[in-house]
Amino acid sequence: MTMEDKSYFQEQLEAKNDMLARTTDYMNQIENLLTEKNLHLVDLQRGVSDSINFAKLIQTSLLPDANILKVFFKDAAYKVVQKIGIGGDTIFIKNTNSGIIFCLLDATGHGIPGAMLSISGTLILNDIISSIEIDDPAVLLKFLNYRLHKTFRNDKNSIAHFEGIVFYYSSINNKLSYSSAKGKGFLFNSTGDIISLASSKTSIGENLNTNFDTFDVPFQKGEKLILFSDGLIDQFGGEQDKKYTTFRLKKLLVNNSEKTVSELIEIIYEECFSWKGDGGQTDDLSFKIIEF
Amino acid sequence: MIQDEYEFKVVYKDKYTTLSYNEELLMAICTADSEYIPIGEFKKVFLYVSEFAESSKIRYFVFDKRNLRTFHQPSMEWYFTIWKPILKEKGLVHHYKILPDLLWFAKAVEAGKHEIFQKYGNDIINGINITYISSIKELLEVLKKD
Repeated sequence: MTMEDKSYFQEQLEAKNDMLARTTDYMNQIENLLTEKNLHLVDLQRGVSDSINFAKLIQTSLLPDANILKVFFKDAAYKVVQKIGIGGDTIFIKNTNSGIIFCLLDATGHGIPGAMLSISGTLILNDIISSIEIDDPAVLLKFLNYRLHKTFRNDKNSIAHFEGIVFYYSSINNKLSYSSAKGKGFLFNSTGDIISLASSKTSIGENLNTNFDTFDVPFQKGEKLILFSDGLIDQFGGEQDKKYTTFRLKKLLVNNSEKTVSELIEIIYEECFSWKGDGGQTDDLSFKIIEF
Repeated sequence: MIQDEYEFKVVYKDKYTTLSYNEELLMAICTADSEYIPIGEFKKVFLYVSEFAESSKIRYFVFDKRNLRTFHQPSMEWYFTIWKPILKEKGLVHHYKILPDLLWFAKAVEAGKHEIFQKYGNDIINGINITYISSIKELLEVLKKD
């Protein structure tokens, strides 16, 4: 090796060491920056989490006691599982002078906007029922439709909608009627048949001029009414990551026809959880079961 | 091959680098032929480029570093802060670089550039376009499309 070569390799070695030191220093700077950003994100995440947890407490406190329904029916229970703790699904139950009104509503969106709409819907419903004696579910939907449309200026930005189903039970004449705006429900009758409840094709709040229909529910003792939001049947999962569908829900109900309402609520929840598997929850989901 | 369409004439060569030029494209390519270019030799070839630019117009300058394995910070600092501004005055603003396909080398380049920009500010490359390419062929194809 010549002196020239030796000098070349010596210089290269020094340059390489320098390059290594500078690159290491730069990578350390990036690592420190990432650590700092990560701490900031953890802090933000904690803030958002605390906020959502408190919001969940507020939203949950608005949910009614299912036992109110047991004054009129043999058994009743419900479950609301919002996608991120808070969301757009809600259950509403309120006594009236002549009976009871109960609903299952699913607001557009989920998470924070869903929760805002769901709380607004609950407050508006409360306000309507406190102001006027209503014994026709379609009239109640018409009022709710009007109030939502006007409150959220839906003629300009059509964003505040609900899908849902409203029931009115008259304790005076033991009559149950309902009106549905894309709401979902089954009547599981004594012969083992599952009858889907009819529904209008328009959401609540979507169109000011929508008319809703009222249907009577001729029920027998021991029959069950199952109401649910689309979060249940639209849940993706299973081996081929497909929607759960009403087909599977009906099959589950038939296979568990002898179960009590509380048992059935847990069976549906566990089935949905198992269907979801490791995947995420597709939407807010809620379901309510009443046994006559 | 697209490179075969253009004849590049070698205008400078030493132990560490080769400088070739195409008159039609007004393109000069400085190819590193060794793993490391000592700073003296580095300055020598690049000063030659600036001299060459006096007599022959260079619109595109390519620095092909694929053979390099050592990124020498003082050389790069000189290259960025002294040489490029001089060549910018001579009208050369389009610089293309080809790096070896080695992640650690790319990180060393990133670290070096970060240090230079921190020291001198991002303004030092104002008005200069620096583009990283994977091959001369890629550049020729882009230029042919334009």
